[in-house]
Amino acid sequence: MLSQIDRVASPEPAMAAEAAVQPRAADARSRPSWLRLLSVKRLSAAYLWIFFIILFGLITPDTFLTETTFRLVFRSGVITCVLALAFLVPLTAGAYDLSVGAVMSLALGLMVYLSIHTGLPTLVAAALVLVVCASCGVVSGFIIVRLRVNSFIATLGVSQLLLGAVLLISNNTQLVGALPQSWSDLGNNDFLKIPIVVYFLVALALVLWYVLEFTRIGRYLFATGGNPDAARLAGVPTNRIIWCAFIVSATIAGLAGVIFSMQSGLYSSSIGPGYLFPAVAAVFLGASQLSQRPNVWGTLIAYFALAFGIQGLVLSASSASVWSQPVFQGVSLIIAVALASRPARRKLREAKSVAAATSTAS
Amino acid sequence: MHAARDMTAEPVGAPAVLTIRGLSKTFPGTKALDRVDFDVRPGEIHALIGQNGSGKSTLIKVLAGYHQPDPGSDIRLAGEEVDLRDTTASRDAGFRFVHQDLGLVETLSAVDNLTLGRELDTAFGGRIRWGAECRDAERRMRALGYDFDVRRPVAELGAAERTGIAIARALWDWEQARVLIVDEPTASLPREEVKVLFDALDRVRKQGLGVIYVSHRLDEIFKIGDRVTVLRDGKRVGTWDVDELDPDRLVSLMVGSVELRPPHDRVFRGSHEVALEIRQLRGLEVDNVDIEARRGEVVGIAGLTGSGREEVLPLLFGTVSRGGEVRVDGRVVPAEPRGAMAAGMALVPADRRAEGAVVGLSVRENCTLTDLERHSARTGRLNRSAERAEVLAWIEELDVRPRRPDADFGTLSGGNQQKIVLAKWLRRRPRVLLLDEPTQGVDVHAKATIHALAREVAADGAVVVIASSDDAELCDTCDRVLVMRSGEVVAEVQGDRLTPEELARLQLEVART
Repeated sequence: MLSQIDRVASPEPAMAAEAAVQPRAADARSRPSWLRLLSVKRLSAAYLWIFFIILFGLITPDTFLTETTFRLVFRSGVITCVLALAFLVPLTAGAYDLSVGAVMSLALGLMVYLSIHTGLPTLVAAALVLVVCASCGVVSGFIIVRLRVNSFIATLGVSQLLLGAVLLISNNTQLVGALPQSWSDLGNNDFLKIPIVVYFLVALALVLWYVLEFTRIGRYLFATGGNPDAARLAGVPTNRIIWCAFIVSATIAGLAGVIFSMQSGLYSSSIGPGYLFPAVAAVFLGASQLSQRPNVWGTLIAYFALAFGIQGLVLSASSASVWSQPVFQGVSLIIAVALASRPARRKLREAKSVAAATSTAS
Repeated sequence: MHAARDMTAEPVGAPAVLTIRGLSKTFPGTKALDRVDFDVRPGEIHALIGQNGSGKSTLIKVLAGYHQPDPGSDIRLAGEEVDLRDTTASRDAGFRFVHQDLGLVETLSAVDNLTLGRELDTAFGGRIRWGAECRDAERRMRALGYDFDVRRPVAELGAAERTGIAIARALWDWEQARVLIVDEPTASLPREEVKVLFDALDRVRKQGLGVIYVSHRLDEIFKIGDRVTVLRDGKRVGTWDVDELDPDRLVSLMVGSVELRPPHDRVFRGSHEVALEIRQLRGLEVDNVDIEARRGEVVGIAGLTGSGREEVLPLLFGTVSRGGEVRVDGRVVPAEPRGAMAAGMALVPADRRAEGAVVGLSVRENCTLTDLERHSARTGRLNRSAERAEVLAWIEELDVRPRRPDADFGTLSGGNQQKIVLAKWLRRRPRVLLLDEPTQGVDVHAKATIHALAREVAADGAVVVIASSDDAELCDTCDRVLVMRSGEVVAEVQGDRLTPEELARLQLEVART
């Protein structure tokens, strides 16, 4: 009975067939479970990642398969990944935060501005910046929860306001920060041959993973994202949850800006908005991985799979450096969302046929 | 019943425009229509009545080309057989429909709505001649007895005018129309506006069209109908001239006598402690309703669609904002779900997929959502194995299939889904359990389980309130049933008077003779 259910539940028909060929021994029960863990459907992005590494490793082995490539991709990916995690939090509750790029820009602008115009210790300045960013989240949350503006529109509006604010601070010029050397060492040095910023990312990912998957708050977020009405009627404080999600999201986006200031003490208003799309693409592609809903590790895997693909293209065809990134991100976003909506559509059809059967019976 | 057989297919007066003979429609597991004969004469309003599940809506859907009848069914328009293979074929044949939810675009004006889906009168370059369209629309609305500015958005118009627009749109091409089918047009119409609609329908009748009129309000049938056909359990009970009948007889024909179950002698003998107290409850439809329920009692709420029955439980739980006061064990309950839960209330909503559960989550996650604190460690970590164990215990107790706490909620059958929704509330040991249409779309077995559970919860000292459109369900499970009409509680039935027939009478506002 159990093995039968397991086979029905196994996502890949090919895998089910494989399981059927297996002798029905004592390990029949355990085999599908670890096979399922590694199934193409759950980890397609990871396999894509491996595919890119092999492909470009064969095409340009001496430039692609080097420590420099890996270091470069990971180091430059940290900012986007942190931003992606910022976007991920409200998305689990079914809301979009399109202002993450602008909040990051604000954080970076403020870091640089404070380093030039005040004598605040850098850590204090960073804390202050995070507080300012969190209050941006409070405002977004207010607009969405209290004024009942669609999150998409609300955060789009807020992001424009923030860009305006940053332009005001910077006077639309490029600012060169006066950040101490120890600060930029954090952004550019390694610890145990791994960039220090990567540790920041991993720490943040671990915290978010724990909260989303193992605590009540995480459950409330997913319930709100799945069906806000049903969640509210089951006693989930959905408004508070959504509001908090936006505060957390803005704070994490601020963190991305702070980390950015470690990597480069330069500010120009063009930094920020460009980071939004890759982050969004990673989150949506990641949502088709592992648990099949927005999740932390899926997001990171998806981002690096795409980043390695882009880097490989850049190295193998120098002309590709210009266009490969937007093309890659765009295609992957569309494919990811199309894949994700397929089971949803199937479920919808089933629901409809059930509803039709019950309504016709009455 | 004899009268019914005598009447079969003997057209008196004008030859029928629509003749149906031996119409059957079988769905997997049920025979929705069983050899039904039915005919409509030109220039008559023919009322079609029957209780929920009698087959009215199936008959209409067959005429609309939405359902295909079983082989051997014969549908003729003016003597010629028609093949209603889809909705276009139905329209081409001459059937026109006004459905209960009129299908108007609220933000557009009456003219815009009348022109939707139709070739427009256009000038050079495809420019719509709006002036001509407006004059035309005005003329048509006048012809139906309406007089209002057709340029105003539909949202600003009254219910009667909207119904008028829907009729005018259905009959845009008078010449091709043969039969107009009006499905429960007055369900959302205030009494005083019904007259306007009747006037319009009367004008349609005078044009020589056949009108099929579906309604639950029996008094209307006597006002406007020429003949009436009663359906019961998919069969035609008979067709009568309206003058031959009185309301009381009509109800007996609708309800039938076979359905009479032994009047149950269950008179509530529990405590006298009032656990649930409702004073002057007000909502959109509900108007000053007072209810008192005692510990251990199962109270039913009956009423037709639009009577306020659907609104009472959401109001009590605070799903929507309300007027009036609700007390549980003497303490005032705030009008929002979390407050209601804190006061010991629980609601199983009528729309399971929209409000009862989060379909994307697993059975376990849905079940424990109502109280996660129970499984939270001090670090905030949820103890999943404890969760799983609790959910598995509920699955065993309520016999849910499959027996897997981690199954996707959406993959369960309706009955099993409902059991889980019930479990997620029962685990909180509610003091007031509100069940809204608890067995809609649920199999017979699950239905019995749910009814037994409701009784059990009451026996343990809680108050159970069931709002349902299924009269038999109310009679089987409730100690006392309140009947609602036009937003008010108009009757209270218990003991040996608590029969489906009596409930039907009271809901249909027919005085007991």
